[in-house]
Amino acid sequence: MNSLRSPGSGRKIPRTIVIIPAHNEASDIGRVIAEVREVTAFPVVVVDDASSDDTRELARSAGAIVIPLSVQLGAWGAIQAGLRYALSRNFEYAVTMDADGQHEAGSLPAMMQPILEKRADISIGCCTRRGSRLRKFAWGLMKGVSGLTPDDLTSGFRVYDQRAIKALAGREATLLEYQDVGVLFMLQREGLNIEDVEVEMPPRNSGISRIFHSWTSVGFYMAYTLLLSLTKRQRKARL
Amino acid sequence: MIPLITGVLGVITAATILVLIRRDHLHARYGLWWVGAAFAFALLGIFPWVFDELAVFLGVAYAPVLALMLAIILLVLKILVMDLERSRNQVKISRLVQRIGLLENDLRALQKMQGKEPGPYGRDELQD
Repeated sequence: MNSLRSPGSGRKIPRTIVIIPAHNEASDIGRVIAEVREVTAFPVVVVDDASSDDTRELARSAGAIVIPLSVQLGAWGAIQAGLRYALSRNFEYAVTMDADGQHEAGSLPAMMQPILEKRADISIGCCTRRGSRLRKFAWGLMKGVSGLTPDDLTSGFRVYDQRAIKALAGREATLLEYQDVGVLFMLQREGLNIEDVEVEMPPRNSGISRIFHSWTSVGFYMAYTLLLSLTKRQRKARL
Repeated sequence: MIPLITGVLGVITAATILVLIRRDHLHARYGLWWVGAAFAFALLGIFPWVFDELAVFLGVAYAPVLALMLAIILLVLKILVMDLERSRNQVKISRLVQRIGLLENDLRALQKMQGKEPGPYGRDELQD
């Protein structure tokens, strides 16, 4: 567990940054940052997505670097700001995780494993057991249409290596709305390898899923994702 | 009578667009399209027989249908171009917002190093 905190094993600690996009997450952000800092020595960047509560002040006082967005860009826009920060500071790896406590910092060592062992460029924390029938139906449909194979296409708990960070920090990726199928297609096109890592995901402490909270938003999300899948699908999925 | 009304409407539209450009309410590059459209509207209003001739030439039995169809095609094209521009602008805005956030973080760090109070870039100033 502590392998990401102290170099006791003699292994060099990788230059890694943890990126947490947050929009009105004052109730959880402090605890989430504390948990990450307990498990790792990695700097934590909170990208405050134009919150109207005290998210940014609480994140700062919990010891995080805060990138404040003046206009709400959505989760992906916030994550991309974090990836741009990672690129500008030359970090080797970037972890993205949610601010609502769904992603446990304790899973980070397992998530980093495939990347540090050079088996993959991206690892995705999957928890396919979670979710309603609606979410499972959405996953099945998206996998079928896109031809992508990661088990949890919508998981925002990911580790990217520097090639992936470079690809995703670019202008082309700014057009995306979510950190899922569109991002995976980009990574696929770059010839990067993705590995799923099964992790536990407790129910969110507060707030609601940005996608799976109403039929309307699910409808928009599915139509958007299916259109992306149909237009960007490659002949031979390499994931 | 109808050619006169449509002709006058076209000329008024064209004049309005020129005024909007003159007062800097409309960017000249977008004004070009609308001036063109307004003049076309005025000319075809004054000389409607052009469409009658064109309809006969193209084998369209009822000339107004041709006019409506062409208008719809042009409008759809215009809306498509607008959405392309909107997409490009969205990317520019998003990247600018990200960049301001990154710079604000750098600025805050710099001010902290110099022992200064961060600001004046509070939330309210940046919300718009």
